Order: sequence, then structure tokens, then C-alpha cells
Amino acid sequence: MAQGRKTSTFLICAATFILMEVAALALLHGTSTLQNIWINRASHRAMAFLWGSGETVRSHFQLERLNRELQADNARLQERLNAYEAQESARTEQERTGPPPSSSYRYIPATVVKMSRNRTRNYIILDKGSEDGVRPQCGIVSDRGIVGIVEAVDKHYSYGLTLMNPDMNVGARIGGTDIVAPLSWDGLSSTGAVVRNIPPHYAIASGDTVVTSGYSSIFPPEIPIGITGRTRLVDGSTLQVDVALFQDFATVRYVTVVDNLERAEILAVEAAGEDRR
Amino acid sequence: MKTTTIKYILLFVAQAALWNYFNFTQYLLLVFLPVMILCLPTARGPVYLMAVAFVTGLAMDFLVTGQLGLTSLALVPVALLRRPIIQLVFGSELFARGEDLSFHRQGWRKFMLSVLLVTAVFLLVFLWADSAGTRPLWFNALKFALSLVASSAVGVFVAYLMLAESGERWK
Repeated sequence: MAQGRKTSTFLICAATFILMEVAALALLHGTSTLQNIWINRASHRAMAFLWGSGETVRSHFQLERLNRELQADNARLQERLNAYEAQESARTEQERTGPPPSSSYRYIPATVVKMSRNRTRNYIILDKGSEDGVRPQCGIVSDRGIVGIVEAVDKHYSYGLTLMNPDMNVGARIGGTDIVAPLSWDGLSSTGAVVRNIPPHYAIASGDTVVTSGYSSIFPPEIPIGITGRTRLVDGSTLQVDVALFQDFATVRYVTVVDNLERAEILAVEAAGEDRR
Repeated sequence: MKTTTIKYILLFVAQAALWNYFNFTQYLLLVFLPVMILCLPTARGPVYLMAVAFVTGLAMDFLVTGQLGLTSLALVPVALLRRPIIQLVFGSELFARGEDLSFHRQGWRKFMLSVLLVTAVFLLVFLWADSAGTRPLWFNALKFALSLVASSAVGVFVAYLMLAESGERWK
């Protein structure tokens, strides 16, 4: 009871105090130019702080949507850039070969729904499926390199294997050289890979960029993958180069699915060639 | 009319006259309005005191400074903090026994401390609002220090005047 009375007395005192101080400030605001400016400035500062903080909080909750928009923009730009590059290279070849090819890759932005990172064979599930145009054997890339390959597709989701998988090999080219060799996960960390089966007479410099070769029907050429590290001679016959991947698989969240529109045609030609042999 | 009220009104007039006719230097503000609030009967609650402080400040602004609200702005916090200051300096027994402040019982040292505290509260708010961010800190600090010393000395005398009768009662 006494505690309740104490609280109500305190509240009345506080309210009266605030009321009187506000009244005094209001009077001062109206009668003195100097104080008027001062109060206005303080009020603007307080408002700026309050609204600024609110805006920061609002922006924080919009980050998810903004990320998706940026991701979609990124995919569109990548598609256009790819088309321009294809046009540019085609223009130089046009004089010799004939009509220019159009961009043969389609880019579909996607978000990682689930991803394993601590298994021997790691997988990834994306929020885009067959209704969005994702097909099996599509490549999965991010702005930092290769992520994996789509294995199975559902209506709204797709399942893929990540590069953190000992069975997955990606054709890679080292630096500006013509060395093309298979790149696979080193099986140890989320940022390590190795390039195997390099003939021993090549000298591989540490710090060279490793990019996709473009020889596969899955990934477009010249996608940066990582940087070369230590080189080792394996079984006295081939070189093995350590690669530090640009993409840390522990942090991947947004990806782009790459669909090669001419893959069926390439595979058909390949199959026809195999049959002829 | 009670003696305290008459003394309060007379001291108010004295303060108005002091501010109107005796401008010694821009580094000094002689004020004893906070002491007048301090010496009001302890039976009065903070809401009543804040109302008195607000009206007193408003009247003073109307008669002297011309900046309506400035003195009220500084005097209302004094009224709010009067009870904690009294409890801090004189002890909470005063309120428990329902006694008023007495210059003779509590002694001038304690009064000096309480007058210093209430004057400091008033001067802090008053100088801060009066300068409105236009004067440098050193100016405000110097004015605060000089005014605090001078006003506290005058304030102790004002407290003596206001509480003279209650002091007699406790002799």
C-alpha cells in the first residue's frame, strides 16, 4: 500500500516537473529569438537522432529484401555482360567464321535453403526449382566463384552437390597459361581445393588466379575460382597445386544458377561422336 | 497573511530590484531565489513547491528579464530537488518529525552546503539556457563559479532572514 502511494507520488512529481519545464521552454521559445533558435536547434537534433535511429532499424529489417533485389540485379547484369562479351568476341571472329552467336547461358538468382558443410559429401538445397527454369546439371556459382552443380530438381526447390565433394571435378585453367586440369576439393577446409594431373614440366607460380576452363557444358569460361598456392610432385609423374578458393563455403548464402541453353545440343554432338567411334 | 508568505514576497521584490538596478558585471549573477524555495515549510510537497517556483520564476521574468520562462526553467528543478537535498544535508529526521528548517538548530555550515547545492542547480540550468549555446564554455564556467560563491554568501543571509522566527522557536 505504502509502496503504491510512493510510486504514484513519484509519478505525479515527475509529470508535474516535465509539464512545468515544457511550459517554461514553450514560453521561452515564444519570447526570445536567441532561445527560440537554440530550442529549435536542440529539437531538430533530437528529431534527427530519433528518426535516424528509426531509419537504421527499418533498413536493418529490409536487408533481406534488398539483398534479393541486388542478387536479381547482379544476375541480370551478369547475363547482359556475358552477352556483350560474347558479341564482342564474336565480332572479332565474325569476319572469319560467320554469324555471331548469342549468349548461351541463362542466370537464375537463388537463395541457399540448406547446405551441409561438415560431411565428406556435401550438398546444397536452393529455393528455385523447375518452375523457375532450373534443370539438372546446371552450374551453381556465386559472385566469388563456383559453388556446385544441380543434381535433382523439384517444382520449387533444387538439390545440388557442392564443390566440397571429393567426386566433383571442375575443369580449371591456371592463370594466363593454357594449362587446363581438373580441380576438386582438398577434403580438409571450406576454402581449400587442389588442381591435379598437371604435367610435371609446367612451372606453376604461387598466387596465380585459377578460373573455369569453359570446356565443360556446365560452367561458363573465365569464372574466377581461387588462387594457386604450394605445388607438389605426386608419384613422380604429375603436379598437384593447392588452391585457396575465393568462395568460403561457410558463408555462402546467395547464389546464381547457370543454365547452358546449348547443353543438350553439345551433349547430342558428343554422343553422336562417341557412337561413330 | 503568514509571516513566511510576507517574507517571501518581500524577498521576491528585493531580488527583482537587485536584478533590475544592480548590474555589477556580466560575470556575476546574484541570485537568492533558490534559497527562498529551500526555506519554504517542509510540510509542503514537491508539486506545491514546483508550482510556487514556476509562478515565482514567471513573475520574475515578467518584471525583470523579459525572457518569459527562463527563471521558471531553472527554478522548477530546485523545487524538485529540494527534498533530496534537505535529506542529504540535514538528514531525513526533519521530514519524519515534521519539523521546519531552523538556522539555529542545524547551524550555518549545513545551511551553507544546502544553499550551495540549490544555487548550483539553479545556476547550471539558468546559465546554460541563457547562453543558448552562444557563449564559450570558459565564460559560462567563470560566471558560474563567481555567481555561486557570491550568491551562496548572500543566500545564507537570506536563509537566516527567512528562518529567523522558526529559529527562535527552537532556542
